[in-house]
Amino acid sequence: MNVKKLLIEPLRKANPVTVLVLGICSCLAVTAKLKPALVMGASVTLVTAFSNLIISLLRKGIPNRIRIIVQLVVVSTLVILVDQFLKAFAYEVSKQLSVYVGLIITNCIIMGRLEAFALSHGPGESFLDGLGNGLGYSLILIIVAFFRELLGSGTLLGYQVIPQSWYEAGYQNNGLMILPPMALIVIGIIIWINNSKTESK
Amino acid sequence: MKRDINSNGYIFLYSSILVVVVAILLTAAALWLQPYQQRNKENEKRMMILSAAGVGEDGKIEYIDGETPVYLVNDNITVLPMQGNGLWGPIWGYLAIAPDGKTVVGVTFDHKSETPGLGGEITTEKFQSQFAGKQISDKPIEFDAISGATKTSNGIKEMIDKTIQQYQPCFKKP
Repeated sequence: MNVKKLLIEPLRKANPVTVLVLGICSCLAVTAKLKPALVMGASVTLVTAFSNLIISLLRKGIPNRIRIIVQLVVVSTLVILVDQFLKAFAYEVSKQLSVYVGLIITNCIIMGRLEAFALSHGPGESFLDGLGNGLGYSLILIIVAFFRELLGSGTLLGYQVIPQSWYEAGYQNNGLMILPPMALIVIGIIIWINNSKTESK
Repeated sequence: MKRDINSNGYIFLYSSILVVVVAILLTAAALWLQPYQQRNKENEKRMMILSAAGVGEDGKIEYIDGETPVYLVNDNITVLPMQGNGLWGPIWGYLAIAPDGKTVVGVTFDHKSETPGLGGEITTEKFQSQFAGKQISDKPIEFDAISGATKTSNGIKEMIDKTIQQYQPCFKKP
């Protein structure tokens, strides 16, 4: 079992967002501020890791004809649990994430990993693969949210970063950064940088 | 004896067991977490009332039940609950009225599923602050609507008018 490969590869070389271009929808929606992005990343990582683990444990008993349904049941159960936990212990953030927590169910990364990996690998490997892919997704989310919050609101995690004197000197927050189109452009730039660096020789 | 994994019987059995296990798990989680979630909701409501009345976190709220329930904040500001319809779902809020029974102290709005950036703007300070200082009279309260969110703005207007009408008898002091 190659722990390092399973965990590190999805961060850059096989990143689910920038290389496989999955899970873009939520990337646009929850990255206007850093805090929801962190929570969303953590939630998706949890769900991918544990759904991978559970499906991998069940894989020999799952009837082939209903395997997608079984996968969906497992994923939705985990997502509902995450949602309930957020509502109970992180109410503010759960309000900001609103429907996007529920939409983790339809996040292509999760189903993709279940189909492509968990059904054919052991539980340990599958768990690490889920963890790695979740972290890869979170990484992009955090990078995008960092730039959007910094340039769009002048804050990071809600704390003022850009000094007041800049505003007095005429600096303005870029309102466009808050809107979804800018998220798409930021992701585009990240994909561009990533591709130019990892291009096969 | 090894069961055929793709037989109908096995599939039915498998899915039934799966569903029952999942149902038990989710019910247990819901029952366990409900008190926490309830507390968050109540806390949020409390904060909305206090923020409408313009007092800090440690304000005192007294609930007066009746045909027209109101909240009394710090013994002098009356806060009326409001309910209405936005474009996609319910909207609600609180309207705080000064002791003179005429001047609006402040409002807070919240919504279930209005479009972020358009109808969702009703929760912002910028939209809500314009209500402070308005006078309640026979004419409806006028305010600047949000461009691009006509239905939500109309919903807010209807909600406020309806609430004021409903409470009108209470304002007319003997």
